[in-house]
Amino acid sequence: MVLAFIFVPLVGAAMMPIMRKFWVKGSTLVTIAVTLFMLTGSFANILREINSETGISFQKTLLGEKFALSIDGLSAVVLMTIALVTLATIIFSAGVPIGRRSGFNALVLLAVTGMNGLAMATDIFSMYVFVEIVSISSFILIVYNMDEIGTEGSFKYMILSAVATVFLLIGIAALFAVTGDVSFQGVAAGLSSSAPLVRFGLGFIVFALALKSGLMPFHGWLPDAYTAAPVSVSVLLAGVITKVAGVYTLMRIIVAVFGFSESFSNLIMILGALSMTLAAFMALGQGDFKRMLAFSSISQIGYILMSFATGTTLGLIGAVFHFFNHAVFKSLLFLNAGATETATGARRLEDLGGLAAKMPVTGITSIIGMLSAAGIPPLAGFWSKILIIIALWGSGHRFYAGLAVFTSLVTLAYLLHAQRRAFFGKVREGLENVAEVSPLLYGPAVLMAVLAVAAGIFYPVIIRTLNLLLRIHLN
Amino acid sequence: MENALLVAILAPILGAFTLPLLGMHSAKARNAVAAALLFLSFGASLLLLKPSLSGDIVTVFKPAGFGLDLIFSADALGVFMALAATLIGLIVTFYSFDYLRREANQNEYYFLTVLFLGAMAGLVYSQNLVIIYLFWEISAVVCWRLIGFYREPFMVRRADKAFLITVGGALAMLLGLIILFNEYHSFDLRVLRGMTAPNLAVGLIMAGIFSKSATLPFHTWLPDAGVAPSPVTALLHAAVLVKIGVFVFARLFVGGLVWEPVWDQVLPVVIGISSIVAGGAALVENDLKRIIAYSTVSQLAFIFLGLLMDSRLAVAGGLLYILTHGLAKGGLFLCAGIVEHKLGAKDIRQMGGLARNMPITASAFAFCALSVMGIPPCGGFFSKYMVIAGAVESGKPWLAGVFIAGAFLTVLYLLRLFAKVFLGEPKFPEVKEGTAGMLWAVSVLAGLSLLSGFLIGYPNEFIQIAVGRMVGIE
Repeated sequence: MVLAFIFVPLVGAAMMPIMRKFWVKGSTLVTIAVTLFMLTGSFANILREINSETGISFQKTLLGEKFALSIDGLSAVVLMTIALVTLATIIFSAGVPIGRRSGFNALVLLAVTGMNGLAMATDIFSMYVFVEIVSISSFILIVYNMDEIGTEGSFKYMILSAVATVFLLIGIAALFAVTGDVSFQGVAAGLSSSAPLVRFGLGFIVFALALKSGLMPFHGWLPDAYTAAPVSVSVLLAGVITKVAGVYTLMRIIVAVFGFSESFSNLIMILGALSMTLAAFMALGQGDFKRMLAFSSISQIGYILMSFATGTTLGLIGAVFHFFNHAVFKSLLFLNAGATETATGARRLEDLGGLAAKMPVTGITSIIGMLSAAGIPPLAGFWSKILIIIALWGSGHRFYAGLAVFTSLVTLAYLLHAQRRAFFGKVREGLENVAEVSPLLYGPAVLMAVLAVAAGIFYPVIIRTLNLLLRIHLN
Repeated sequence: MENALLVAILAPILGAFTLPLLGMHSAKARNAVAAALLFLSFGASLLLLKPSLSGDIVTVFKPAGFGLDLIFSADALGVFMALAATLIGLIVTFYSFDYLRREANQNEYYFLTVLFLGAMAGLVYSQNLVIIYLFWEISAVVCWRLIGFYREPFMVRRADKAFLITVGGALAMLLGLIILFNEYHSFDLRVLRGMTAPNLAVGLIMAGIFSKSATLPFHTWLPDAGVAPSPVTALLHAAVLVKIGVFVFARLFVGGLVWEPVWDQVLPVVIGISSIVAGGAALVENDLKRIIAYSTVSQLAFIFLGLLMDSRLAVAGGLLYILTHGLAKGGLFLCAGIVEHKLGAKDIRQMGGLARNMPITASAFAFCALSVMGIPPCGGFFSKYMVIAGAVESGKPWLAGVFIAGAFLTVLYLLRLFAKVFLGEPKFPEVKEGTAGMLWAVSVLAGLSLLSGFLIGYPNEFIQIAVGRMVGIE
């Protein structure tokens, strides 16, 4: 199962150039088949995970115990999220015109391979390799339309990513120098010396991953990259790529290697609070729908990392639940932004208006996405947010809890602004002839909206499952 | 009996989702089903009346962990509120069949209204603070869409304003609830009973309650919400939205959580100011619906006064006030709706002499206004008397004085409103009376306002039992 999660998408990607020669349409079908396989596989993982004794559902060692991949509860949730968002991306992209479609699918599958590997990696070096696979395929995906804005966004992302890469590599080298091992367990065992080099390594790795996840003040590349990318790529970027390459990797390396220290918690708490609040205010002033959503992403990453930095059981559950919820509602909102852009050709909010009357499905799903993002019950976003606030308050970070509550209001304010401009209200002049987009474009949005509602209504099931899945990380 | 409780909550909530689908095929079927759902919820609550009186409280419990369990129980307070809300909601829905006949987005309207009343039922029966919060926010979302019903840009902006203010308050309240949870490790109201709430928690929760119940300084969204269709404003003011705040106050603090003595000093000052200032605003305002809206802000302070006092008489008066004010205020808004609908104007300076053209509307308006003023024998008199007498009884005669001044203001602005609109020279001699359905609705509300005075014994007896349970005296 472990190898399947890497090789099935990889082989799929390798098939694409061949498919291009004789059956272009089939390339999308193959990609969908691969994602569906991953989706069912990840459900099987979760089921097996709940019933397993060790908390690890699958493990595979290669090269004589030197190299191992394993799936535990945290990986299982991440794998499922990746499969879900990729499915939405591929279906949506099938409905919009893309040049060299098989190449596009190949790159998406390559990115998925990297993310899957990242979710299952158990040593710091293969972690680095998979981060690079994800990053490189996303550079090309962002510039896939070959336009000026895409080149700019991609270039910015590439340069800052290169900086992050260097820091990550130096950090890994430092850890290897101290412990003489690269596996999570080996490094963690060798760290007890707490040499200055270890702190140095931790600092470099945290910096690199904060840059990769777009945490403020290292967020400069993120809004440009999200806005410049073709619509379906923004969905993938915002939904999973930055979350897995940055947020998940940071979470994993802290849980598996360094453990929570007070200085780390304080640092992430401050950066998280900064991102959460400032990005929300910056989103308030955006006129471009996708750019607003990009800032919203930064803000939500702040929530996830703050919750994680509490180092408590509830904090971890809240962070993972919000990780999943964010992937659902943010891809939903990006899908809506893509649908409005496809239908009207406009991406600035002031050029839209009253679209709910013309595009009912997009209108309704966007309300669900917005309310879930703002944390309004009974949608899923509310339950993860309340867990985060309880965790923050309970662990004594009272100021941050207050800030998180306040930011929820700002979140609602900017999303309401977008609602009012784009959907709610009278139809704008010039948009009378707009019609609902094709089912391929709104289908994934409906799927995500249903998930946001269902996860909200059946929250007891989800909270209990997460509790079981994450039990080996909880003491 | 557990089933009756679930039907009372779930029938309108789940049923609401069928309404837009029905409405695509037949408007008549949709309207009939909407009314039937509310009637079903009303009937189910009626079934719960008897066990709640005999102290045999029906409870539904579903565990979830982390304090987020689902707990519903039909106690006397809950049943009373559910009956009052669904009854008024039902009448308002009948009224909107005629009122909205020609409007767009009707499917959305009936969906939201029925969902609104379902959320109300869920809220009043809930014993878990987070579940109360959940329904509270559902009502805010519904209210946001309903206020923007006509979709004009300035209306949508005002809808956003109402949504942001009430959600802002609600988020403050959520933090307050989390502080309580952190202190006592439970969101279950039955566990929290008799515990002392930290000052910060009380302050945050009160911010939420005041924002929902439109009390100074969080009241500004309520007059602005008058851009909604009249049945919507009637619902917001009379049956559901603003009553949620006072209800949750009663749920949490009357015989429940205990607070530090300082709040006994602070809160009366806030509501006293709210009552007088809003009364003054109603006196100088010229927009028909805004006057009635400010009147609501002012009257809500009376309800808070009753619930705040340390006296059974006052608490009973406060709860009775929820009912009598709901009936009368609903009637006033529906009458205002008929006037606005027929004249297409909102400014009372342009109106006059309508009593001649619209005798039924005028008399219904008069009776409802008398009830809000507190003139016997209308129901409003008894509740107002009980609240003020209770304030004196619990040793706050100065506060009673302030509210008597507030009551005097009420008489002034409602008389001014009635005189400007219905008396004097007829300015619209051609205007006709509203349709039969609308007239029935306002007549029923006016009749109930009168009847609740003549038959004050029945609700009063019930409320005495509810209050006895709440403060722990059988």
